[in-house]
Amino acid sequence: MRLFYEFSLRSFQRQLIYRTAALAGLVTNFFFGIIRIAVLVALYGARHEVAGIPIEGAITFTGLSQAMIGILSLFSWYELMNNVYTGAISADLLKPMSLYQYWISHDFGRAFGQLILRGLPMMIAYAVFFGISTPQNFWQWTGFVISLILAWAVSFSWRFLVNLAAFWIPNAAGFVRFAFILSWFMSGFLMPLRYFPDWFIKLCALTPFPYMINTVVEIYLGVVQGTAVIQALLAQIFWLAGLILTGEFALRIGIRKLVILGG
Amino acid sequence: MLQAFSLYWRLIGVQLRSQLQYRLAFFLDVLGTSLATILTFATLAFVFQRFGNIAGWSLVEVAFLYGMVEAAFGVMDLVFSGFDPQNFGKQVRLGRLDQLLLRPVDITVQIFGSEFIVRRLGRIIQGLLILAVAIGMVDIRWTMGKLLFMPVIFLSLVCFFGGLFMVGATITFWTYDSIEAVNIFTYGGSEMMSYPMNIYQGWLRRFFTYVIPAIFLLYYPALFILDKPDPLQMPGFAPFLSPVVGFGVLLIAFVFWNFGLGHYQSTGT
Repeated sequence: MRLFYEFSLRSFQRQLIYRTAALAGLVTNFFFGIIRIAVLVALYGARHEVAGIPIEGAITFTGLSQAMIGILSLFSWYELMNNVYTGAISADLLKPMSLYQYWISHDFGRAFGQLILRGLPMMIAYAVFFGISTPQNFWQWTGFVISLILAWAVSFSWRFLVNLAAFWIPNAAGFVRFAFILSWFMSGFLMPLRYFPDWFIKLCALTPFPYMINTVVEIYLGVVQGTAVIQALLAQIFWLAGLILTGEFALRIGIRKLVILGG
Repeated sequence: MLQAFSLYWRLIGVQLRSQLQYRLAFFLDVLGTSLATILTFATLAFVFQRFGNIAGWSLVEVAFLYGMVEAAFGVMDLVFSGFDPQNFGKQVRLGRLDQLLLRPVDITVQIFGSEFIVRRLGRIIQGLLILAVAIGMVDIRWTMGKLLFMPVIFLSLVCFFGGLFMVGATITFWTYDSIEAVNIFTYGGSEMMSYPMNIYQGWLRRFFTYVIPAIFLLYYPALFILDKPDPLQMPGFAPFLSPVVGFGVLLIAFVFWNFGLGHYQSTGT
């Protein structure tokens, strides 16, 4: 726990150094948010509610999903892959904790930094300029916060797993990008999954993707309530465990193939 | 001129060969980039099942816009990747531009040939595919004028985005790092143009009409091709401003680029 804290803290402090970059990212995310609002407002037209989501909820969704880009590192995360290629992974493996634990503590600091520098300012800007809906009571807030943490952990475990492809492929960047694009589509990042046809929602539920974004959004908006919230959180935990185990398994096989050249 | 072209092709050839070295990785890369286009469009298609239309535009009409933007942006990204501000800024920072400047060949040709990312083909092919399906499914009353105008619209879009890339690259002569505002115009602009632009309200639309006149590049030409009425009441020649805007932006970009080159100071690295 102590080590987790120390590694996270270093990574968090590193984020704070790049404040200008964070601000630039925030502005871009916000601009794209404006476009996405215009699209959704035009799609809703005269309707007030579609698929159980009122128009205010749809606007809030664009804010939330744009805010999560930084937290979940939704567009790119190749750090582990690059370390495999440069050989820096040998240093990672010498750390007094497992590779997964080392990287997740690192990513926690990064995610927390992004939450402070980009996530919260984004939601505040949204609240000021467009007006957003917020969870209605204490339990909904609690559910949202737990769900957000789990979503980050699921997302990290997924990124960790796909980065491990570097053990097998001489240039895994394309493969990892592929995995990222799939996650935008099926996680409910581009559009809330509720707008999609039922068969597609069911298909997505069989993958880890909805538990990275869609679950968080639905709990925040109050689209799922009561025991369904508990069920959603359990599903996130289930996928988290599944991804961690798969990652450990892949790592164990992959590490045998690893050759690091000295020099 | 001829020599510049042959040099350009040789530079591109080197890029091609090196990128095709790892076949599987390359294949996955192309697949990945084309997937982005297709899946973004699939999202739109699914959502349209629920919503029906956007501001009176059907799915296939939006597909016309989307396919056009994707293919044009892809072509631009292939030809102008040397000017991609993010990448170019890095070359400036690392002092690699100094190396190029020392060579006895036109610098602009060298930058054009410095980067050629073959996987962009994925995006172009998917964009063209979506465009083809859209053209097949929308009932367009083709005339000779419209047929001739199609490639003009396409080229104007390529020039427009290419010009923005060049401007972004030139700015890094002073800033040494790409500035985020350029991303907003390039990537944000292409995102905006893939929807009917009358959905944007107030300052946002005015900005992309009068400051960065992106609205004339695709929205107005599309109204003309698809015979749709103009809800914004612009003059009748608005659709035909697209080559003026496209080539104009590229021309200004070239002037600015040459001006920047004259004022370039190395970082000393």
